[in-house]
Amino acid sequence: MLQLDRLTCGYGPFRAVTDLSLEVPDGSVLALIGANGAGKSSTLMAVAGHVSAMDGRILFDGADITGEPARARVRRGIALAPEGRRLFPDLTVQENLTVGGYSRSRRAEARNVERVMALFPRLEGRLTQLAGSMSGGEQQMLAIGRALMAEPKLLMIDEVSLGLMPAVIDMCYEALGRLRDDGLAILLVEQSTQRAFDIADTVCVLESGKAVWTGAAEAAREDPALVEAYLGLAQ
Amino acid sequence: MNYSDLLVQGLVEGCIYALIAVGLTLVYGLLRILHIAHAGIFTLGAYVGLLLTNETGSFAAAFVITVVAVGFFGMAFYRLFYEPILDKPPHVALIASIGLFVAMEEIYRIVFGATSISFLAPPLKDTVEVAGVRLEEGRIAVVVLAVVLIGGLAVLAGRTRIGIAWRATVSDAAMAESFGIDLARVRYINFFVASALAAAAGVMVALLLNQVIPTMGGVPAYKALAIIVLGGLGNVKGTLIAALALGVIESFGTIYLDRVLDRDAIAFAFLIAVLMIRPQGLFARR
Ligand SMILES: Nc1ncnc2c1ncn2[C@@H]1O[C@H](COP(=O)(O)OP(=O)(O)OP(=O)(O)O)[C@@H](O)[C@H]1O
Ligand SMILES: [Mg+2]
Repeated sequence: MLQLDRLTCGYGPFRAVTDLSLEVPDGSVLALIGANGAGKSSTLMAVAGHVSAMDGRILFDGADITGEPARARVRRGIALAPEGRRLFPDLTVQENLTVGGYSRSRRAEARNVERVMALFPRLEGRLTQLAGSMSGGEQQMLAIGRALMAEPKLLMIDEVSLGLMPAVIDMCYEALGRLRDDGLAILLVEQSTQRAFDIADTVCVLESGKAVWTGAAEAAREDPALVEAYLGLAQ
Repeated sequence: MNYSDLLVQGLVEGCIYALIAVGLTLVYGLLRILHIAHAGIFTLGAYVGLLLTNETGSFAAAFVITVVAVGFFGMAFYRLFYEPILDKPPHVALIASIGLFVAMEEIYRIVFGATSISFLAPPLKDTVEVAGVRLEEGRIAVVVLAVVLIGGLAVLAGRTRIGIAWRATVSDAAMAESFGIDLARVRYINFFVASALAAAAGVMVALLLNQVIPTMGGVPAYKALAIIVLGGLGNVKGTLIAALALGVIESFGTIYLDRVLDRDAIAFAFLIAVLMIRPQGLFARR
């Protein structure tokens, strides 16, 4: 599905990510972890098309999308729930979802709103509320829901649990679990290693823009100290 | 003149200000450009509307053609002058815009002559009585047009998919784009709407004054700027309220402030007074 081939990206001359290679196969979950400033968000933004690649390639379903604009990537099936959620605060929940499904037909929109409501019942009955007036947890659900409106094959989520109560985090992960079981590939960034290890198939640890450890989540689960040592190095 | 006369005249002026200023605030909201040349587009609307009326004999037909044609002109204007400098700092577009406005006035002078042009048969000049106030038909038309055009815009923005895409783009362009919204298209539509509204205002001002001159955009240029600052840059509702308020204040001001202040200076006195009390404008930016 998604393959990064020695990707280097950054801002102006500054390299936020260097020579990163990773793969998210169909229907699998990859968790990117790492200290603040390690380059996790930059990686996601590069895949979404908001940070331009300086070197290397981004492949999606076998096609080289390295130079494609963000708009074309969503049609291919890449959707992002970004860091800080970045909802449209002055738009209603329904309108945020409409924007999420902008790359799909109007008919698909109605169907996908139903799906999102089934996944996050907390959003039901709030369709006319302004997105900016919702609680942090509801906003995260809406950010994920908005991305799902694009009918992605790959869902990317940055900072799933940041700033949320444990009960709300559980709801989000339960939803992600269901999406994975439906065959969706997920690339997520997570501060909580425990949560990341539980849902992921593969874990990739970034440090200063480089992958320092990539392996099966099982290995990380069995020996969390191993991975956390890498995180510790960076801190 | 009694109070209701003054109020009605002020509201008519306010509607004209609103038609001009809404476009300016839309451009600012989307692109953070202070589009001074917007007033040049207003003047273009006045010329095209007047000349087409004289040519065809039908004011209504001339009005519709002008509004649509100048809307497309606005799109081309954006494509030619603003799109190439979008990633430059905002003062670059501002300076370009001022230069373009001056150039447009000079082009009008060369093409249409420095002296004023008038309607051969001034349309909508009969007066009718509305709620005890005698009004020229042209003034009633201004109010009707402002309500229909700006109301239509509100429906477009609030109820249609492209309107929602437009507001999403104003809110966060990169996110809007990442869900498949074509930013270039939104910007074109934005310039079409802004320029069409300015053209509508231009034709109606030509009608009310029964004359068009190359420099007629000068005063609206700075008044519209004062209005959008008062309305909270980028805030359409605030801009509408500020436009109507300025129209009414000027209208009463011509009676009560006549000796102290020129009518056209009131906008700035109002701006300075409000900014001293509320630096963010009457309405916060959204
Ligand atoms: N817009 C930007 N312009 C310049 N540098 C940036 C920009 N965004 C991020 N960076 C830099 O890129 C590096 C990686 O940042 P990034 O946001 O990808 O890290 P992160 O792993 O997501 O961190 P966090 O856990 O704090 O979210 C940092 O050094 C950061 O300062
Ligand atoms: Mg980050």
